[in-house]
Amino acid sequence: MGKVNNNVPLEYSTEENNLKIFGFWTFLGAEIMLFGTLFASYFVLSGRTGDGPTAAEIFEIGPVLAETFILLTSSFTIGLAIHAMRLGSKKATLSFMGVTLLLGAAFISVEIYEFVHYVHVGAGITTSAFTSALLTTLGTHGLHVTFGLFWGIFIMIQIAKRGLNSVTAGKTFVFSLYWHFLDVVWIFIFSFIYLKGMM
Amino acid sequence: MAKFFPKGQIMGFVFSLILTVIAMLVYFTDMSFTTGMVILLVTAFIQAGLQFIVFMHAGETNDKWAIYSNIVYGIGLVVLTVLGSLLILLWDM
Repeated sequence: MGKVNNNVPLEYSTEENNLKIFGFWTFLGAEIMLFGTLFASYFVLSGRTGDGPTAAEIFEIGPVLAETFILLTSSFTIGLAIHAMRLGSKKATLSFMGVTLLLGAAFISVEIYEFVHYVHVGAGITTSAFTSALLTTLGTHGLHVTFGLFWGIFIMIQIAKRGLNSVTAGKTFVFSLYWHFLDVVWIFIFSFIYLKGMM
Repeated sequence: MAKFFPKGQIMGFVFSLILTVIAMLVYFTDMSFTTGMVILLVTAFIQAGLQFIVFMHAGETNDKWAIYSNIVYGIGLVVLTVLGSLLILLWDM
């Protein structure tokens, strides 16, 4: 590690951290493209329902709204975690991260319920072009959230063991970028897959 | 306790809830497909901008222009990919 700059928040205090944070933004650019191609496929295929059900027949507004408000709130709490980190409070940082991950787990639980429901009503991944594109898009987002849960747990363990320093602060900040980004993707899934499908 | 809940982030959260409720109107009220899509496009992109700027602090370092161009470039490519796919494969043009 190079020079430490004490005039900026911990996560920006070393050159290495600045490069890692910038690098992660570049990765998010690639993620935008990944989800963009999934959306393109979904929009093209969403009408090709074959003998299977249509979007309006299988979507349920209840679980979708639950998922949306859970994820929005978790995006708020990870923001508060970063704020607490900048105030130097290890305890508050860990608490807000804990709440974030619990909300993430709640989101995944609702999504699992939703997938079981789809299969139950005869909309499996091989049913039609529509269900394939739908479950692939939702599944890719859900896998990202699941990965984030484990990632977040390991970062919490590191903060608990080593405290807030330039290394753990950098990792936590990058994790917060990832988590907010998943909320951004969800906003588009909520708007252009669910609401559009039920309109 | 209050210091852990900065006003800016609370405002951002409340605003994102309001945008979500506006988007929900598309489902809960009767409106044409076009009106609905316009509402969804507006609320979704404002929400995304809110996340990037308020919560992800996209503009707080000297790298901000590189970060913004990276995001804008990504979104531009996605718009091209989505509209291009729709034009060729769905709208038969």
